[in-house]
Amino acid sequence: MYFAGIDVGSTMTKAVLTNEGGELLSAVKGPTGPEHRRLANEVMRGALEQAGLQIDDISYIVATGYGRVNVPFADRQVTELSCHARGVFSLFPGVKTAIDIGGQDVKCMKINGGRLIGFVMNDKCAAGTGRFLEATAATLGIRLEDMGDIASKATKRVQISNLCTIFAQQEVVALLSRGEPLENIVAGLHIALASRVAALAQRLVIEPDLALTGGVAMNTGMVRAMRESLGRDVLVPEEPLLTGALGAAIIANEAYREAAEDGTLPTGTRRLEEATFFAEEDL
Amino acid sequence: MTAQDKEKRAINRLESMRPLRAKVNETYLKSVEAIQSGKPAVWGMLNFYYGDPILKAMDIEVVYPENYGAIAAAMGVAQQYLDRADAEGFPTHLCGYSLTTLGYASRMMKELGGEIPPEAPLGGMPKPLFLMSSAAICDARYKWFQALGRYMDAPVWTLEAPTPGVKEFFMEGYYDAMVTLGVKHLRDFVAFVETMVGRKMDWDRLDRITNLMIEVNRVWHEVNELRKVKPCPMHSRDFWSAMPAALFLAGDLEDSLRLYQDMYREVKARVDSGIGAVPEEKYRLVFAELPPWHSLAFFDKLAERGWSFVVESFGYRPPIPIDPDVMAVSDPLERITRFSLQFFAGYYEDARQQKVLGGAFAYPYLKYAREWKCDGAMLHPLISCRSASTHLPYVADMLMEKLKVPSLSIEGDIVDLRLFNTEDALARAEPFEETMDHYRMVRQQEGLDW
Repeated sequence: MYFAGIDVGSTMTKAVLTNEGGELLSAVKGPTGPEHRRLANEVMRGALEQAGLQIDDISYIVATGYGRVNVPFADRQVTELSCHARGVFSLFPGVKTAIDIGGQDVKCMKINGGRLIGFVMNDKCAAGTGRFLEATAATLGIRLEDMGDIASKATKRVQISNLCTIFAQQEVVALLSRGEPLENIVAGLHIALASRVAALAQRLVIEPDLALTGGVAMNTGMVRAMRESLGRDVLVPEEPLLTGALGAAIIANEAYREAAEDGTLPTGTRRLEEATFFAEEDL
Repeated sequence: MTAQDKEKRAINRLESMRPLRAKVNETYLKSVEAIQSGKPAVWGMLNFYYGDPILKAMDIEVVYPENYGAIAAAMGVAQQYLDRADAEGFPTHLCGYSLTTLGYASRMMKELGGEIPPEAPLGGMPKPLFLMSSAAICDARYKWFQALGRYMDAPVWTLEAPTPGVKEFFMEGYYDAMVTLGVKHLRDFVAFVETMVGRKMDWDRLDRITNLMIEVNRVWHEVNELRKVKPCPMHSRDFWSAMPAALFLAGDLEDSLRLYQDMYREVKARVDSGIGAVPEEKYRLVFAELPPWHSLAFFDKLAERGWSFVVESFGYRPPIPIDPDVMAVSDPLERITRFSLQFFAGYYEDARQQKVLGGAFAYPYLKYAREWKCDGAMLHPLISCRSASTHLPYVADMLMEKLKVPSLSIEGDIVDLRLFNTEDALARAEPFEETMDHYRMVRQQEGLDW
């Protein structure tokens, strides 16, 4: 039996396939864009191809992420907080606290045996999220994925005083015009974001092990800054972007077993082929 | 079943709430009629039973800008007043209610020459003879009225208020000194009102009104006590709809007493029949601070998930019933003062004995969560109200530490709908159920009985 988790995030959509034993068979990522359904379809197709499977081979599919309602071939939608908790626990069984920094939100979670027992999220503002780095990287004319390497060459960290993303962009321009080296500015941006996230996380009582997930965890500069701001080690998965989708696949496996016991297994044909953003039945 | 039908049935609303809610509308319409027939009308600040009985005894119609701000928000007309207040230069971080009514006052006085704005809900607030503010709780409550008074070119009287919840409040003789001072202030206030309206106080009438006010709140308290039962027979939405008649003394008090008694009977009947306000009650919650008035349908969505809001912030609930001996005090001004002090001090002695710091605002939530057997707390920090927000993280910590009750914090505002995101809030509700389930198990392990 095979299970799928699909995570439609604000920036990236991810699909993961596992077998009955929880072994990862394939994983595909792609930018979300405005047409959730089309991309959910595409990443799912990619994941199936990578694993050499057909859609009908999949016993249960769980969709998560803020676009989860736009995955018509999913059997169930589960909130991303629950999926992240389950996913990160499967990777680090000792995890008690996890921080997921995504494109438009940051989630700080307390986890007990894979269950979510508390959480806080950013409110009303993108300043503590990946969008902060994305916007400032664009202002600096550098690629997001290069920020970590650039920051590693810093001789000092410039203090970025504005928490607001828009004002921080202006501040960065002013720093550049003063001749501040790029690497010092980037290092400053990392520590500014990390401090904000750490302040949010500390509303929960942080207990080790602590894991950092989400796209921002792929940035080595941010991982360094988070360790420094929190004053403790952080664990980072090899594929931090896939944690939610992985958790969704694990929940799919559990949900299948429960449904099989209750006699409530989903029936009918999956709508992988027909599913497009402009499907006639949705008009 | 259509979505509309589903929403209607998500919360089983009380029929007896409806005439109480209608009293609010009646109050505003009467104030406009009063002005038209040459009678005085006053703009009042929520004063916790301190100044209202005086004005009622003097047959003065009172409207409450604070309450009107909520109405404007709920009826979707607040935004234009917020924009106008912004244009007048008031900072956007001020209280949302104050900004709404400052915008209203600006439009009325600077644009319409004192006429009520035609778009104003419930007939609008007419130009007042004077304004009655209150120093209780926070500085906005009198600075705001001073600003309104300037727009209206009308005098402002500020009712003094005690500062409860500090340890000095328990010093020997402090309480009696507060009563003495309170009575003196009220005597001065009566003299001010007499001067403004050119009539003398009818002390017998004040005597009757004082007793009615205390009795209305006692019955309202008893209604809320019935909500401890599972399933909870009355939802917070009914509480918020019915509360103005007791909190602001809206409308005729004898009529209010009868209506609250009707409500008691309806709620009691539900208790006796095991009928819940949320048909399938899965989670019982305390709601902290004022709700997003502009997005009340949010609670219907949560009710569909089995969430029942069974108790609310102490600031809007009736005081714990007063010692019956107080009713024997002959001076109505002293009875009024003691009743108002009961609102501020009713919980503190217990809080002090339990060494709960910040007892003034935080302790009632512990009591509520324990006695109303809550699975969780929804905290609604109001971005434009410090008084309603700064204590909430402390409340969350206390609830978890002492009772293992988790909290979900959703930022928003009472008036400014731009600050509340319903979809975002609902997205957090689902994972919070997992948290509530976990702590239900923890409470059982720790010997707590719910």
